[in-house]
Amino acid sequence: MFRWNKVLGFVIVLSMLLTACAAPAAPAAPAAPAAEEAAAPAEAESWWAEAAAPYAGVTIRGISESTPPSRYSAEVLTKQFEEATGIKVEFEITSWDEMYNKPIKDMQANTGIYDFVYIEQDIIDSYLAQDFMTNLTEMLAEKPELQSPDFDFDKFTSFINDFKDAEGNIFGVPMEAFIKVNLYRKDLFENPEIQAAFMEQYGYELAPATTHAQYRDNAEFFTEYGRENDLDLWGTTVQGHTGHASSTYELVETILPTFGVYNWGVNLDTWKACVENGGEMNSDAAKEAFSFWLDMLNYAPPEATSSTWDEVAASFAAGRAAQGWVYGENAAWIATDPDRSIVIGNVGVAIPPLAEGVMEDAESGAGYVGYYDGGAFGIPYSSNNKEAALLWLQFIGQESVQAEWAAAGSRIVMESTFSDPLIVEMDGKVDNYYTKLKEWGPLFRGAPPFPFHNALRGNMDPPIWQALAGEIDASTALDEACRIAEETMMQLGFGE
Amino acid sequence: MRSNRMGWGLLAPTLIILGVMGLLPFIYVLVVGFTDWNVFSATGRPVWAGANNFRRLVFDAEFLGSMGRTLLFTAIVVISELVIGFLLAQALVKEFPGKAIFRTIHALPLMVAPIAVGATWRLLTVPGLGILPHVLDKTFGIEYNVGRHASHAFATAALMDIWHWTPFVTLTMLAGLTALPKEPMEQALVDGANRWQVLRHLTLPMMMPVIITTSFIRIMDALRIVDEVYLLTGGGPGDSTRFMGIYIFRVVMQRTDYGYGSAVSLLVYYFTLVLCWMLFVGLTQIGRQQE
Repeated sequence: MFRWNKVLGFVIVLSMLLTACAAPAAPAAPAAPAAEEAAAPAEAESWWAEAAAPYAGVTIRGISESTPPSRYSAEVLTKQFEEATGIKVEFEITSWDEMYNKPIKDMQANTGIYDFVYIEQDIIDSYLAQDFMTNLTEMLAEKPELQSPDFDFDKFTSFINDFKDAEGNIFGVPMEAFIKVNLYRKDLFENPEIQAAFMEQYGYELAPATTHAQYRDNAEFFTEYGRENDLDLWGTTVQGHTGHASSTYELVETILPTFGVYNWGVNLDTWKACVENGGEMNSDAAKEAFSFWLDMLNYAPPEATSSTWDEVAASFAAGRAAQGWVYGENAAWIATDPDRSIVIGNVGVAIPPLAEGVMEDAESGAGYVGYYDGGAFGIPYSSNNKEAALLWLQFIGQESVQAEWAAAGSRIVMESTFSDPLIVEMDGKVDNYYTKLKEWGPLFRGAPPFPFHNALRGNMDPPIWQALAGEIDASTALDEACRIAEETMMQLGFGE
Repeated sequence: MRSNRMGWGLLAPTLIILGVMGLLPFIYVLVVGFTDWNVFSATGRPVWAGANNFRRLVFDAEFLGSMGRTLLFTAIVVISELVIGFLLAQALVKEFPGKAIFRTIHALPLMVAPIAVGATWRLLTVPGLGILPHVLDKTFGIEYNVGRHASHAFATAALMDIWHWTPFVTLTMLAGLTALPKEPMEQALVDGANRWQVLRHLTLPMMMPVIITTSFIRIMDALRIVDEVYLLTGGGPGDSTRFMGIYIFRVVMQRTDYGYGSAVSLLVYYFTLVLCWMLFVGLTQIGRQQE
């Protein structure tokens, strides 16, 4: 018996060793051999080497969220940068929570661990309010020897405006930008038999939804269709994790605006959220929106209440939903990556369903139809290697690296990328997502300019989660959420 | 005199490490607990708040709820682990075929990091992917969903903890049982005592120091559980698995409310001390009565 014990122990230790020594998995983001192989002009190469000479051997450390664009920059661009400059890049790709926690603690304690950090569009105002970021405009003006001839802030789309202060100074180099669209299964929506069955049941033609009622009908129809045909198919995705911030985000940034409730329902002049104080968080429209979204749980895959943005994309890619609100950064891989998706070539892209008047609001600038997300890399004021980090930021902000990056991560931050041949070719495979991003972009909007974004959302989460878990109804949840929101803003020194 | 100095000299490194790693952070948390400090407030700086944070705690339904939930969770898992662990240890004292293999396999969960345990159980239980919901649905027609049903999430969190930590209890109990003198038991059996009487009047009283120590370790661990449950449910659905550790994590890390988070941490620390002290007194008295 003793021998058996030894054998078992040996097998366990051996398996652990083999696992530890196994070759790393292939990068999730499509690698870009073409980009790696493409030889940069000799002149440009010499500029990077020359500018970086004083910093050769320096190691810069950065942190970002595990998204397709971030993974591409960590796996592909860092190598190119290291070769061109001799500066080493240690790039930490982590979860969404840690992407916030770690840099905030670092910058607040002034420890100087990170030399560049991911600044999501919705946190920039909080960072600027605390003077956490280095002014890039000023730094480039002060150090002209570090200004790359291939880098120009003017080449970026208007998304760069999200990373400016009131005086127009820039604090981040955009690295990802996308819209949260309504993805749908073209193979289902364009199937004549399915179309006929839908027409018979509802009396109008099956199509990507433009209204919430139509979205509900589509969801109900495909859920029944899946059940009747013994398919793992449901009518819609819902980013409804009952213990993660992503569900609150889907409600306030994606669902509420489509019902005409903007800025999370918070009055930006008075910092009030409840209707009786001039806010809209618990307005009739907001409650109707939340009820609609909760109803969608009836037509969503069972994993919906455990789904964050990642799982929603995975569910859609696994063919488990006929339509859904999906972050556009996932559109490319869902539509083209055979290793991760079974709906290749069948992905349609549409504007989310809207209530009456919302499109007019978006066109006039008074409102928006959904969430325009994205982020930039910035340099913390606490960094000890600001110059080397500035070179890295300019390197990823060159026109020449944008197209491959956009193809890998469905993100575009520069005007010229839209017309790049690679993107034009890719566009056709993703139901013209890139063209739509350009055309529809102005109709979408990022998070409101809250200097307290994380704290507010963190306090609002519990009633939203309780409603998703079926413990309270939408109306009670929003009444509670608006009360908490006002209390939080007061505690933080905003509003009277 | 010289030996006294030498003694202090030898102790110095330990005292310095204890002071720097243990005492200073504690004092820091104590001070922060009396401030109003949120990094994203209008000032962004700590402001002296006196006992406000502690006053706020008393009326914080979310915190009080998490406290009650944690106590219930701790009671369920610690009692279950002690009972199952003791029974398994009793079984392992005896010789039987395959004992070594069983003991090795039984101890495997102990080697897994809590974060990995949470991730593994999430993979097992997430609807649409996990094997558990699939089997329960296809075999028994049970709609098991930890993301939707509070009772499912709580029960799964407890089950996960019991699975993870029962081997620890088994091993400590086994060590205790094998160290017990055999003579009193043999003598009692010769005198006509049955196995239950031996267990009740000899084994349990003699095992009391081991039971108390193991209980303390497990209670302290269960009260501060975070990583496994955070990975499994994120504290949901709703607030059904938002235990004190997760509550503190949310306050400090997600809401960046350092002042209030420190106050909660201090209270939880004090609460754990009091609970362990009460348990110590209670179990010691029971042990004395049995002697």
